Amino acid sequence: MIHIRDLQFGYGSSNFQLTVPVLAVSSGEKLAVIGPSGSGKTTLLNLIAGILKPQKGSVHVGEKQVDALSDDGRRDFRITNIGFVFQNFELLDYLNVLDNILHPYRITRALKLNAAARTRAVDLAAQMGIGDKLKRKADDLSQGEKQRAAICRALLPKPKLILADEATGNLDPENKMRILELLFDSVTEHGATLVAVTHDHELLPRFDRVIDFRDFRLSQAA
Amino acid sequence: MSSSAERFSVMRTSLSWLSVLLIASAVTSTTLAEDRLSVYVVNYPLKYFAERIGAEHVSVEFPVPAGEDPAFWKPTAEMIAAYQRADLILLNGASYAKWIATATLARSRLVDTSREFADHLVAGGNVTHSHGNTGAHAHGNFAFTTWLDFNQAAAQAKAVMEALARMRPDIRASFERNFEVLQSEFMALDAELNVMARKAANRPLLASHPVYQYLARRYALNIKSLHWEPDRVPEESEWTRLAAMQREHAAKWIIWEQAPLEASVQRLNAMGIGSVVFSPAANQPERGDFMTVMRANVANLGRALD
Amino acid sequence: MDSLYVAWRYLSFNWLRTATLIGCVSIILALPLALNFLLDVGERQLTARAQATPLVVGAKGSALDLTLNALYFGEQVPELISMAEDEAIARSGLALPIPVYVRFHAREFPIVGTTLDYFELRGLSIASGRTLGVLGECVLGATVAERLGLAPGDSLLSSPESVFDLAGVYPLKMKVVGVLAPTHGPDDLAVFVDVKTAWVIQGLGHGHEDLASIEDESVVLERRDGNVMANAKLLKYNEITPANLDSFHFHGDPALYPLTGVIVAPNDERAGTILRGRYLQEESRQQIVRPDEVIGGLLQSIFRIKDMLDAAMATVGAATVLALILVFALSLRLREREMTTMFKLGCSRATMARFVAAEIMIIGAFTAVLCAAVLALVNAYGVDLVRALILQQGG
Repeated sequence: MIHIRDLQFGYGSSNFQLTVPVLAVSSGEKLAVIGPSGSGKTTLLNLIAGILKPQKGSVHVGEKQVDALSDDGRRDFRITNIGFVFQNFELLDYLNVLDNILHPYRITRALKLNAAARTRAVDLAAQMGIGDKLKRKADDLSQGEKQRAAICRALLPKPKLILADEATGNLDPENKMRILELLFDSVTEHGATLVAVTHDHELLPRFDRVIDFRDFRLSQAA
Repeated sequence: MSSSAERFSVMRTSLSWLSVLLIASAVTSTTLAEDRLSVYVVNYPLKYFAERIGAEHVSVEFPVPAGEDPAFWKPTAEMIAAYQRADLILLNGASYAKWIATATLARSRLVDTSREFADHLVAGGNVTHSHGNTGAHAHGNFAFTTWLDFNQAAAQAKAVMEALARMRPDIRASFERNFEVLQSEFMALDAELNVMARKAANRPLLASHPVYQYLARRYALNIKSLHWEPDRVPEESEWTRLAAMQREHAAKWIIWEQAPLEASVQRLNAMGIGSVVFSPAANQPERGDFMTVMRANVANLGRALD
Repeated sequence: MDSLYVAWRYLSFNWLRTATLIGCVSIILALPLALNFLLDVGERQLTARAQATPLVVGAKGSALDLTLNALYFGEQVPELISMAEDEAIARSGLALPIPVYVRFHAREFPIVGTTLDYFELRGLSIASGRTLGVLGECVLGATVAERLGLAPGDSLLSSPESVFDLAGVYPLKMKVVGVLAPTHGPDDLAVFVDVKTAWVIQGLGHGHEDLASIEDESVVLERRDGNVMANAKLLKYNEITPANLDSFHFHGDPALYPLTGVIVAPNDERAGTILRGRYLQEESRQQIVRPDEVIGGLLQSIFRIKDMLDAAMATVGAATVLALILVFALSLRLREREMTTMFKLGCSRATMARFVAAEIMIIGAFTAVLCAAVLALVNAYGVDLVRALILQQGG
């Protein structure tokens, strides 16, 4: 699903340098990425998603070489093929939950907002346990509910790849497990691939594989 | 009373005049009813003047019912509205037709036919009164039978002619022609009366009512007025007053504004006072028209002045 | 549609901010528009009426007061002239004089004493009832009838005028006989009476019991030579009815009765010129004015003020536009987090710009609606306002 080779990326102003000689994630795999802050975990996600473009090397997602696409091409590719879940949810406070879930459909022509999409959004929300909150403003939700809404939004376009950037970082322990399970269930159900950056070591056993950025050691899940 | 032969000749002349008029209007009658000037008047003389001068170009309305004195007639609101709709409203002036003073009429339509001699009107004796510090004033202060001075009648007719001509300058010539005919008839009457009056200068005369002020002034007649009604035999006290008056004003004739009762005539005859009729013709006469009535008047008066 | 939907969500979520913004922009736009509109209407009305009134004769003095009184029934009563002036013009045969006597009031509305020719000059038509028939009747302007709730058959009292006449002008109970069709001009706000009725209000004409046939001798002060002198006990009528109409009469010489002005409609241009020439003579105690010139002068001074106002308004407007741009820029800055989210979700700058444009469009639409509403209101109520303002400026 993901194939990274000889990747080099640095921000112009700092001496931060991310080097990934090779990284392969197979279809349906659930990969955890750990490491201290500033080690480049988010950067890696952004490179996979095509938000950033590597100076060297190549990033393939599925059949597409993401780094070779144009800006618009990468954006369209991302929005249709990759679901992104953020630590701070990135919900729009002025939209209600349903509109937030549907929002990707409203910002690109690559997705068609039709009745089917709406029905799916309602079903997904019900699955995620926020079926009764669709008309509420995003602000009125609890943290856990917000992340459920954000996951719905990420899953709605049926992406083959889910990127989660500390998706459970702002949640209490009880919610953490539940959200992670929901995420895992839906990823499995959709046959998608998951790459999750996390600090929560107690969650690691649930993943297929863990990459530790501290020494960029690849370790096999237990 | 005028002789029947005389009356006949008067009627004949006026009839022939009328036929001339009719023929003329038949020949030139292209005037449609809508084109006619709608003229409202306050008394019969003005109606006659307007019809003589305006001929087929005018439609003259005089809504006062027969037998009522137009000077004291009171119109209804509808009647005032009809006056308001007229193209011209011919007034007699000299405070004639009291209702004019309290009615609202468009000044542009009003024509005071006696304006030319407004400074020479005869004050009529009436009760004056005062209240507050505004001084005395009288109500209805002028004698108003202005047309009984034929010279004034001509002036009023001229005012009518001018008013019509102002409304229809295109047919001014026709109005002028008609007026000149009318004027010459007045002048003939005026001359006739003058001649008769000169023969009888200062001869004392009586009038049944004070309506002959202008007649008396113009033709220097010595008239004293009573307040006698032609359709009523005067009471004894009035006869007594007449007898007293006769002592310093030995009149041989009394002028009535309409034919008096035979009883009155008899009793007057017994006193050596003859009766003649001089009708002011303020309202439409039963027979004849203004001119025939005036010619009869002059003829009648001629007997008193003979 | 999507961008409009999202923009609408944003704006309605931040409704207070949105409303303030729409309010501010509306005021800035509507104010000069309304002012211009009002002045336009005012100018048109004033000019039209001035042009429809060829000449006005009045006492020497302020030409503006005279014009405003004769044309718009302004509060300021000019020096009075006499009916003789009207008669003189009529006798000249050069013009049709229409007397106007605008001095008294019924409630807050001016009583206009004139003749039927006035209705013809102004093309006034009766909407209900009939026109003036006899003394003591009045015809109401459309607005007067509406505001006082009067219809033909009702009556209206004239207001006493205490300042001028210490003897006391008794209020006259006038009979409403007609209501005029609306003209959207000063005639809507006037009570029309025959000029003679106005004189009755002033006390120049009156009706009372017939003194000659009076029965109560305590009323009579003195009888001498057919003159009956009455005391104050004499019953004076303060309502003119068919029964007492005939007892109404006028004291003194009618030619000396007062008018505030005479509207003069010359027969033709030449007649107008001749007439004007007569009044230009030094010794004339009257003046003749051309209302369109007088009103032209008034408008010029109004427009000078308006020019200054316009300049001020333009400056304020420019400053406000700058402030608005700043506000918008700041609000975009405030929305940076939201923008980041959008970008992370895959929103392009162009789409973002579309959302902002949609917001501006919605605000613009609301502003336009609000401005239109304000202008509609101004249209409905402003005309009277202009009239009042201009009359005050004259007074």
